[in-house]
Amino acid sequence: MNKMPICLVLLALTGCATVQPWERDVLARPEMSLDNAPLEAAIDDHIYFSKEASSGGRGFGGGGCGCN
Amino acid sequence: MKDNDSFNATLAAATCALLGSTVAAPVAAQAEDGGWSFDSTLLYYGESDNRVRDISAAVSTLRDFGDERKLSGTLTADTLTGASASGAIALNRPQTFTSPSGRAVYTTPADEVPLDDTFLDTRFALNASWTQPLARLYTVSAGVGFSTEYDYTHIGANLSLARDFNKRNTTVNAGVAWSQDDVDPVGGRPTALSQMLDVGDNSNKRDGSESKDVLDLLLGFTQVLNRTTVLRVNYSYSDSSGYLNDPYKLLSVVDPVTGDTLARVPIGQGPNGVYLFESRPDARTKQSLYAEVKHSFGAPVMHFSYRYMTDDWGIDSHTGEVRLRWPLGDGYIEPQLRYYTQSAADFYRASLANGTALPRYASADFRLGDFDATTIGVKYGHGTTTGNEWSIRAEYYQQNGSVPGEQIIGNQADREQYPDLSAVIVQFGYRFRL
Amino acid sequence: MNASCAATLTRDSDHWVGRFVAMASPCEVLIDHAPASLAQQVLNTVAAEAWRIERRFSRYRTDSAVHSINANAGTETVVDEECANLLDFAATLTRLSSGAFDITSGVLRKAWTFDGGDRVPAQAQIDVLLESVGWHKVEWRRPLLKLRPGMQIDFGGIGKEYAVDAAANLAAKVAPGLSCLINFGGDVAVRNARQNDEPWRVGIESFMQHGAAERVVKLSRGALATSGDSRRFVLRDGYRYSHILDARTGWPVRNAPHSITVAADTCTQAGTITTLAMLQGENAEQMLRDSGLQYWLQ
Repeated sequence: MNKMPICLVLLALTGCATVQPWERDVLARPEMSLDNAPLEAAIDDHIYFSKEASSGGRGFGGGGCGCN
Repeated sequence: MKDNDSFNATLAAATCALLGSTVAAPVAAQAEDGGWSFDSTLLYYGESDNRVRDISAAVSTLRDFGDERKLSGTLTADTLTGASASGAIALNRPQTFTSPSGRAVYTTPADEVPLDDTFLDTRFALNASWTQPLARLYTVSAGVGFSTEYDYTHIGANLSLARDFNKRNTTVNAGVAWSQDDVDPVGGRPTALSQMLDVGDNSNKRDGSESKDVLDLLLGFTQVLNRTTVLRVNYSYSDSSGYLNDPYKLLSVVDPVTGDTLARVPIGQGPNGVYLFESRPDARTKQSLYAEVKHSFGAPVMHFSYRYMTDDWGIDSHTGEVRLRWPLGDGYIEPQLRYYTQSAADFYRASLANGTALPRYASADFRLGDFDATTIGVKYGHGTTTGNEWSIRAEYYQQNGSVPGEQIIGNQADREQYPDLSAVIVQFGYRFRL
Repeated sequence: MNASCAATLTRDSDHWVGRFVAMASPCEVLIDHAPASLAQQVLNTVAAEAWRIERRFSRYRTDSAVHSINANAGTETVVDEECANLLDFAATLTRLSSGAFDITSGVLRKAWTFDGGDRVPAQAQIDVLLESVGWHKVEWRRPLLKLRPGMQIDFGGIGKEYAVDAAANLAAKVAPGLSCLINFGGDVAVRNARQNDEPWRVGIESFMQHGAAERVVKLSRGALATSGDSRRFVLRDGYRYSHILDARTGWPVRNAPHSITVAADTCTQAGTITTLAMLQGENAEQMLRDSGLQYWLQ
């Protein structure tokens, strides 16, 4: 896999800055993690899966019950 | 040993000579090494009008071995009671239905949306997953899941691979999940679009379980936009096949002019109207595009997400969610808002008009209808001095649907057509490390 | 040219964060509960000391003492007290490592490029350079130093850790009792414990994924130093050659750990142990165990 084109495509798509490892102080805070409350997210996904026709998006899961 | 002592002594003396006689206090350092971290939660979900009530408890644990290897597991138990709208439409006289077991009847008062017979069901679910580095910059993750309830069992497995680029500013991941579910409906599986029969008559029911297979594919990337913002975008593809019906949901057969449910005289005990069991296709393909952003405004953090879903049942949905976390004293407060809207499935019917040809697929399940839903809530969390955190969350969920004009027949216009739903959710959470 | 002789002070949840660049590394000072003026004073002191040491001992700077020593190789030079202390310390390390560590080994840089490839220089090229390597070839009688022509000294292996301790000393004088965490590119020292007795949490970077913390060390007091290849190595014939060169052979050490972190009372001590342990290659862990200090390997 040639990583350069993918890198360029992704960077071009989002037009972002490269954050150096020592600049990740804010991003390292737990509340900045995209998955900082996985249990709560799973519970919400389960509630909405049983009341609505859509599921998931964030990752796998949604389903596995007789509620829909 | 003697060599070590003289080595250490020589080094100590040399350091002393270099730095001057300032004596540094002895070092006190400890690695925050692995250990188990737990997240536990207790949730209450209660719909208005004595509908569904659910109490669930879950515990999840994460063991971080350092070096990017992780083991996690979640155990969930929930107890569901209450009834939800069965799909039959409201009528100006009481309606009687045979219960799913086929051994009793239940009645809905006049002018009320019929709810299926009150039931009690307990579900247990277990999930586990393992993550580890595969090679430099590659991480692989594998998981299994299992759940069981009275009439339903599920097993599943998933596998995903992630690759980092650009000093870990970009991560691309791909995953696949597979699951097999078995439905063993109470009273047996009814033949699709067959009529609900009297108590004791199981001629349209078939014993044994039905199965449903689901294959999910996920492609996504996470991108650090700048020092304070991170973005994730996922594309998902999901293919379900097998028994996709809800074996307990009905459609009312109505008079094509008045819109009133056709009457029926039971032999002994049974339904006093003509009701058919629903029928859904035996395959469903869904695709969704999901994006979320987290941004820090100094101390407060905002999270925004959007998901678009479309499937081959004709359902399109949009979901938007925003949360804002504000530090408050030693804790934080996080108001949340979610808006959801979906369009009805192609085969959604509020009721079936007598005399018209029976469609191949039809369902009056409100979850396949046209509705908007809003959730508004607030969460408060507080960290303890030992690094643990407890939290409490309260939410209000409101679903408002509508039936397309051309599906409203005669007197139905004066009655509740769509079983709107509102629920209160309260959740306690506690996170701790051992 | 000084890219940034600027130090910025910002407020995080319950402490101050001062940032600046020195010795080609991102530097930060975390200051516990203190009024803004005192925090600023501490930051200024620490930054000034870092820049002072960089100016004096960086081989890149034409106005540094090291540059002048190297330019005058072959003639006798007089060095000041601080430089003499560093030379004495380096001499001790050379003795303790039986010559593997040597501040005259910098010239070997001309032969080796560590880019993860498998290129190794010709032995002849190394042999030529080795003529100019060896502390025993230096005439050092404090305060007089005489290098042979063509020789160079380089305090790169001990400079940053020394700077951390020196800055920590000054910060403790400016604000006695105040807890400051000084971090020069991963070399860390804390003199006083925090007011609420909570430790400072230091993330040791994962060698596999830059930016991800491999491990978090809770440092209440003391120092941490990390020596790592940061993917600067040569892979050849199944061996991984780290970028740390053994001055006796002119070759890098073989199969040393990817990264060693040591906790000790002072940063100089911690840094010394990590460097000497790395020089042991495959036997690094044995030396770390014998030192009696806490360490973490990757």
